Amino acid sequence: MKFLVLVAKNLRRNPLRTVLTALGTMMLVMVVTLVWSVLWFLDQATTQRSENFKAIVTERWSIPSRMPYSYAATLREGAARAPGDVRPLDWMTWQFYVGTVEPSPQKISLDNMVFVVAIDPDKALTMLEGMDLLTPEQHREMEQIVAKAKVNKQGIVMGRTQMARLNKRVGERINLYGLSNFKGLDFEFEILGQFPPGRYDGLSAMHVDYFNSQMDAYPSRHGGRKHPLADRSLNIVWLKVPDDQAFNHIAAQIESSPLYTSPPVKVETLSSGVGTFMEAFRDLLWGLRWVLTPACLVTLSLVIATAISISVRERQLEFAVLKVLGFRPGQIVLLVVGEALLLGVSVGVATAAGLFVLVNWYLEGIRFPIGFFDVFFVPPMGVAVGAAVGALTSLAGSLVPAWTARNVKVADVFAKVA
Amino acid sequence: MVSILRELYYGGAGTVVFLLILSVEAILLLLAAGRVPLQYSLRNLLVRWKTTLLTALAFTLVVAVMAVMLAFVEGMKRLTEGTGEPGNVIVLAEGNTDETFSNLPVGDLTDIEQQPGVLRDAQGRPLASRECYMVINQPFPDAPPGRPKRRFLQVRGIDDIERAAAVHNLHLAEGQWFSPAGVEERVLPDGTRRTVVQGVLGRGIAEELGRARGPQRRAQAVNPDRLEVGDLFELADRTWVVAGIMDSEATTFNSEIWAKRSVVGPLVGKEGYTTLVVRTAGPAAAIRFKNFLERDYDKAKVKAYVETEYYENLTQTTTQFLIAIAVVTFFIAIGGVFGVMNTMFAAVSQRRRDIGVLRLLGYGRRQILVAFLLESLVIALVGGLLGCALSTLADGWSATSVISGHAGGGKFVVFRLVVDAQILGVGLLLALAMGLIGGLVPAWSAMRLKPLEVLR
Repeated sequence: MKFLVLVAKNLRRNPLRTVLTALGTMMLVMVVTLVWSVLWFLDQATTQRSENFKAIVTERWSIPSRMPYSYAATLREGAARAPGDVRPLDWMTWQFYVGTVEPSPQKISLDNMVFVVAIDPDKALTMLEGMDLLTPEQHREMEQIVAKAKVNKQGIVMGRTQMARLNKRVGERINLYGLSNFKGLDFEFEILGQFPPGRYDGLSAMHVDYFNSQMDAYPSRHGGRKHPLADRSLNIVWLKVPDDQAFNHIAAQIESSPLYTSPPVKVETLSSGVGTFMEAFRDLLWGLRWVLTPACLVTLSLVIATAISISVRERQLEFAVLKVLGFRPGQIVLLVVGEALLLGVSVGVATAAGLFVLVNWYLEGIRFPIGFFDVFFVPPMGVAVGAAVGALTSLAGSLVPAWTARNVKVADVFAKVA
Repeated sequence: MVSILRELYYGGAGTVVFLLILSVEAILLLLAAGRVPLQYSLRNLLVRWKTTLLTALAFTLVVAVMAVMLAFVEGMKRLTEGTGEPGNVIVLAEGNTDETFSNLPVGDLTDIEQQPGVLRDAQGRPLASRECYMVINQPFPDAPPGRPKRRFLQVRGIDDIERAAAVHNLHLAEGQWFSPAGVEERVLPDGTRRTVVQGVLGRGIAEELGRARGPQRRAQAVNPDRLEVGDLFELADRTWVVAGIMDSEATTFNSEIWAKRSVVGPLVGKEGYTTLVVRTAGPAAAIRFKNFLERDYDKAKVKAYVETEYYENLTQTTTQFLIAIAVVTFFIAIGGVFGVMNTMFAAVSQRRRDIGVLRLLGYGRRQILVAFLLESLVIALVGGLLGCALSTLADGWSATSVISGHAGGGKFVVFRLVVDAQILGVGLLLALAMGLIGGLVPAWSAMRLKPLEVLR
């Protein structure tokens, strides 16, 4: 205990140096923790989980996937057609739509475009990713929105970024005019609510029935011609399955079914689907993991090593006195390393904890759009990462100076003083 | 920091050169103004060589990391800038900003090709290329552990390859273009005779596919690191043969596979056209033709871009990465600044008596400030130069990423990292800025020391 007090007192001896080292440590721990948080989140998204196991059904070859909506009726049953076939626990269909709030073609811009998915409101809470992570208050709010969406089929739930960009508020009305392949599909919505902050900031959702009813009504307004996407309006089907074995059964049922030949479909796990998209960013992520993070760790070690080296050089006489007083070389090493560790770990924990609060509660995530992901949060484990980074770098940075302190020759030091 | 880095990066080499000259002039001015011999500062750095080295190494790492990150962005930027001909107009379906989602009716294509303004080849045919751009989700069962078992491949279905090559100004590096049929009979390694699809590959994707083969196939391959002309590969349930390799380095076509549209379209259920690219007399004619299509052409509603403008619009990812780099660099640099501050404060603290003596010898406060500032700048310069040298090792590395516009879509691209003089200049400027900021406060404190007090 006395030893700890001595270590802490030593840190207070040169407050300026301690503060500068702490600030340097803070900056670098912050970068490493943020990078780790992004990589951790992406690893989670591309790692198969035993709970909340989802299969994703899409067109076999082409991106974007476009399948007939008629596929949905049997796909949601996992294409089960014989006794003993496995059925999914739950399902969800996704139909994409892009529209603009601007009726005049000359004024269409990215600022007035809206990306919407048509879904069954009942599935929002049970199938959408991340709904299990909502706070009880957010969950209650989503339940209320879902209840409204079930009744009001012309309702739309919007992401926060989209609402802010369009300067719209809950309760207001909004008209969307179809763009690109969705030309001719126009909608009149009432904004029922907004998604919780985070991954759905850039997304809006409408009732599947409203989308399909507009699609069905298209020929009556266009001389009997079907909409070009009428037979290809289903983009993705998600199926919740209990485990790996059930997934393999359902995948085999669907991929061998004669119902899905034009176009053929494929089944993969959600994590594998996300992983395929993220493959394009593999070199960037590799760089974050194996270039940026180590560079930050080494830089931090150097900053700490510089501070500790200076401190050791200035305290040669003190170490000589300690040795004379009976301190063993190992205790001198512990003293120097202890100072670095105390500083590194405490600053690491404080920085990571501060970052957790700042990013998750005040900034509502860090924006780094990559693949499907727009916003990243610092997981609670990030605090442990901050501590580990502080500990690791302070240890690395202090070992050599500590060894120098250990080898201080009492006679030499006193000879110089004399 | 974001806007500074953006200005330095997008402001062009001129801004960086100007700032570097300004920095050199400032250092020369400091040398001229400071009467304390430079040798004094340098000797002090050498005496404390371990601390000097540790601090300089921190600069080295910060500069090297920033330069490598910028090299990544520069590679992507060059790709978008290098793709497209200024005299070409790319036509998509109305409301589309990306060819991935476009769908053009054949009748519209025929009519647009015949419009005045579209150049014609020696046979009198319009210099226009009808294309179907498709992204195929292809299984890769041999993927190494930890890597996805599927990946996206970009295939451009072309009607007339020679006209397309003329419109895009692309040439073959090896092999030949695919035949008018787009397929050929071939004896496969298992001895069976089969019709295979001919593909012409960009060099980048040929390397990617070459490396994606399993260890056994790579060991047997002519070139284990790249698909060569005549090599076979699997795509959309068919066997393909590499008919040719395009000379398409530094363009997005480097990451594409070109094949006969009527062969590949039905394989993936995409039988129409996404894109029409037409050649006009030059950049001014291209702008006129684009405006004509968007404003005055009333037979069909289409979206037209000058081809270079279309690819330049695919910079959203590049901009996002640049912002991320700026933020990360800012924080790492601040960390480095605190490191150099520590070093310089220690230097000041150890040499309080020296400073007192210098003051008594008649050196002014400003000379003391300059002497310590120069020390800090020398550490920064040495560290920065080492960092720049280290980062040049990354020049030419192959990498993959996505380039995209604001409205989604995008292209998966293979490109090379570019460490150019501008990036090295930005690195050096960063190092000097860190040295200046980190050295200023300790130098200021040294300047304010009272000679009699420190010598007491």
